[in-house]
Amino acid sequence: MTKIAWWIRRRQKESDLREELEFHLSEDADEREAGGLSREEARAAARRDLGNVTLLTEDTRALWTCTLLEQFAQDVRYALRTMARHRAVSAFAVLSLAMGIGAGTAIYGFMDAILVRQLPIVDPASLVEITWRAKHVEPRNGPTGPSEFVLRSIYGRMDNDETGAHARIFPFAAVEPLREASAPVLSSTFTYFMSRRMNVLIRGDADLADVEYVSGDFFRSLAVAPGAGRTTEPGDDRPGAHPVAVLSHGYAQRRFGTVAQAVGQRILVNNTPFTVAGVAPPEFVGVDPGVAPGVYLPLSTNPLLDSEAPARNVDPNYYWIGIMGRLRPGVTREQAQAALAPVFASWVAATASNDRERANLPQLSVDAGGRGLDTLRARYSKPLYVLLAMVGLILAIACANMANLLLARAAARRREIAVRLSIGAGRLRLIRQLLTESLVLAALSGALGILIASAGIRLLTVLLANGDSGFTLHAELNARVLALAVAVSTLCGTLFGLVPAIRSTRLTLVPALKNIDLVPRMRLQEALVVSQIALLSLLLVAAGLLARTLANLQAVPLGFNPEGVLLFQVNAPQAGYPASRAAAFYEELRRRFAEIPGVRATTLSHSSLVGAGRAHPITVDGVPAVRTRFLQTGRDFFSAMEIPILQGREIDERDRQGSLPVVVISELFARTFFANHSPLGRHIKVGGSMSLDLEVIGVAADARYGGLKGANPPVVYVPYTQIPTKQLQQMTYALRTDGDPLRHVSAVRAIVHDADARVPVTNVVTERAEVDQTMNQEMVLARLCTAFAIVALAIACVGLYGTIAYGVARRTTEIGIRIALGAQRGAVVWMVLREVCVLAAVGLAISVPIARSASTFIASFLFEITPNDPRAIAFAAATLFATAVVAGYGPAHRASRIDPTSALRNE
Amino acid sequence: MAHKTPARVDLFRGTLDLLILKTLLPGPNHGHAIAKHIQRTSEDLLQVETGSLYPALYRLEAAGWVTASWEKSEKGKRARYYRITALGRKQLASEHSKWDAFARAMRLLLNPGREEA
Repeated sequence: MTKIAWWIRRRQKESDLREELEFHLSEDADEREAGGLSREEARAAARRDLGNVTLLTEDTRALWTCTLLEQFAQDVRYALRTMARHRAVSAFAVLSLAMGIGAGTAIYGFMDAILVRQLPIVDPASLVEITWRAKHVEPRNGPTGPSEFVLRSIYGRMDNDETGAHARIFPFAAVEPLREASAPVLSSTFTYFMSRRMNVLIRGDADLADVEYVSGDFFRSLAVAPGAGRTTEPGDDRPGAHPVAVLSHGYAQRRFGTVAQAVGQRILVNNTPFTVAGVAPPEFVGVDPGVAPGVYLPLSTNPLLDSEAPARNVDPNYYWIGIMGRLRPGVTREQAQAALAPVFASWVAATASNDRERANLPQLSVDAGGRGLDTLRARYSKPLYVLLAMVGLILAIACANMANLLLARAAARRREIAVRLSIGAGRLRLIRQLLTESLVLAALSGALGILIASAGIRLLTVLLANGDSGFTLHAELNARVLALAVAVSTLCGTLFGLVPAIRSTRLTLVPALKNIDLVPRMRLQEALVVSQIALLSLLLVAAGLLARTLANLQAVPLGFNPEGVLLFQVNAPQAGYPASRAAAFYEELRRRFAEIPGVRATTLSHSSLVGAGRAHPITVDGVPAVRTRFLQTGRDFFSAMEIPILQGREIDERDRQGSLPVVVISELFARTFFANHSPLGRHIKVGGSMSLDLEVIGVAADARYGGLKGANPPVVYVPYTQIPTKQLQQMTYALRTDGDPLRHVSAVRAIVHDADARVPVTNVVTERAEVDQTMNQEMVLARLCTAFAIVALAIACVGLYGTIAYGVARRTTEIGIRIALGAQRGAVVWMVLREVCVLAAVGLAISVPIARSASTFIASFLFEITPNDPRAIAFAAATLFATAVVAGYGPAHRASRIDPTSALRNE
Repeated sequence: MAHKTPARVDLFRGTLDLLILKTLLPGPNHGHAIAKHIQRTSEDLLQVETGSLYPALYRLEAAGWVTASWEKSEKGKRARYYRITALGRKQLASEHSKWDAFARAMRLLLNPGREEA
């Protein structure tokens, strides 16, 4: 410690010593003068007695010199000087490595948010969620077939694939037995139920909010203290308790301005009054990082808002409620599972009604809940893994570049290093110096990389969200992410620095001093370039495949014209409109929208075409029309969406409540279910909650229904005016406009607000944007991968150029001799280019088999293209050779211009 | 270099530290006075080389056994005065007893029999 303190004040210490010695000298001289010597003699004697002052100073100085520290500072200074001398090359190397580190860090930031980060609550490690697993559930064989699974109705999500079925929701009746059995292992249990969005009316302003029902002890069990007012309490669960709501911090701020103003206010949720009891703290965003509820309601209020709730509460085969809990101290998840699983097994066995159900009963499992529910993990982890793999490739290419740069630089310094070794420099000391240089490069790259990462996270958030305001994936540069960036930079610095350092200090002194090159070929450099090319071609193949996928998706025929169409949703019944008057309200709105100047056509349907996904049991002459999808449609739908009518007519103002119920069918429906006969005048029946008998009045050309991937289903278009009024819910308006559709948003809002202020306009989007949104993941992947491929191409191109240029410079004499002996300029160019092409070919040969097997990794992101698409591989190969020729042409041209006389004089 | 002293004794390694600490025990002093004191007290048998004295003083300071500060000497010049610290006293005590043991051992080995008397 003292040493470093003294090292910092070393100038002070030196002057102390000087002054002290001066004092000693004068004291000694005074003494001798007093002894009788003359002044001069006394001084001379004293000085003689003092001895070797330099040696003395040197000995003392050892106390405050930190040799290691000073040498390190020297090395850093030297490294910076070297970098300043080779500014362009160093800047490029730093920049390319920084891009690799930055992109990697940004993507890791997202993975951290999804896969590692814990919920911002007290002791997340003790939080568990109760889930169940079962074998894969076969679809029920028609409505009359035997039930295959005890889960007969569901509100929420169940994963069901070859690996099995899995969900985190239970029947309400299972909660109580589980709560009782959990007493010895769980200190508390609580339940939640994610609802659809609801209309929330505050001070005359309406909007849609994500609503989560929670049990009274939800906040207390999570140990979340209120941000204002109070949170829900067990008393709120009592039947007949006053309906209260707890708002999220962000929502309360947005709707009330300040959190304090929200407490005690009355709000209308789906036209039902609630009192705001309190506001959650700002950091709490619910138990599912994938959803951010704005409003929390007590579970006991569910029947007030949902007429199906009472039936759902008592149905032991209706799965909808989520259960979480906290482990008692010292209890493991395995112990909790052992305590709960048998209880659930016997409970669920009693709900099975046939042997098929009994053969595949769900089995309870207790999972870690500290990271929250994993809806985000399911959605984003795979694309992020793909991106991370790509960034890893870029990083490897950048590292190879850096190593190549350092190798070339070390080779250029052979003579200098040989001189230093021959006059006694320690080899370790030289290695340390060279390593410092690479670490300085890496440190700069790391610092720059972190800047790039913070920008990258913002960019990636925008890309992934793509206008989705409910996007909840928030990545950040926390300590873990930064530590990774630092670790990667240090590792890169050491890895690509160590080999050149060791190699360049292991040389035979005499030839190196005489400047004779004894290393005939640059095997290591060439190996690095070949591996760069191999890595690059992997990226190019991936980019090619994803770009083709995007192009294929964009080429999917929509069947309607998405340009210039404004879409938005309105839900009148949810805002308290009586069902009987909703249809008239919707038609009145449509009429007023049609009067907006610049709007050419208006129509409405229950959902937009690409966002739709509704099925009812439909039969044609008693035969079930399987896979058929349903769209509630307003008048002029086909002309407004520009879908051609092939036979008959479209739905228009004649099709009203009370007139003959009609239907327009898609061409596919007509072909599938009416075969060769004309469908006009025929009838189809819609069963279930609809119970309609419809006469076919027209056949429309096929238009895309639902997403863009997968086979398009047969579709029936039914006038919303003719369905049972109870089935009428939200409507999506489509306005075909001249110019930018978003210009008309404020006019639309004004009209709706004027018609009824309780009804909000939501999900405003252009049809084009909505179509793009369905291929967002592919779009983001394709764009990022193309960007990555271009970056990698640039990096590898420079690496290749550097290596070839260096090789040509070393062979100046040889090429000079060749030219002197009569080699043609063209032959020299070809000679150099041939070597470049050989390197590229070797790299390609290595990468093709790897690409063929690795591309199956991204198979699930591809659309109408196989992972082994030969065109993608051919594209990669062509790009590679073009790059190689571009990178190699400069040096090759220079080689052909070598003047034989000056080249030979150098010898 | 010619010296007036008839017989010179070379200092063992480590003994200089001990002598400096011992010299500083009565009170603070500067380098030159420390050297003179050792020389005089040992009846000129021990000559302290300047080349060893000052590195030793700085070493003792670094070890925390003495502290140094600039003060006015009796003649009014600025001099660096060394003062023994509590840590230095402890070190002195332990070195002192080690040295006593060593001296006794040397006596026993070099003059066997005399000790018993």
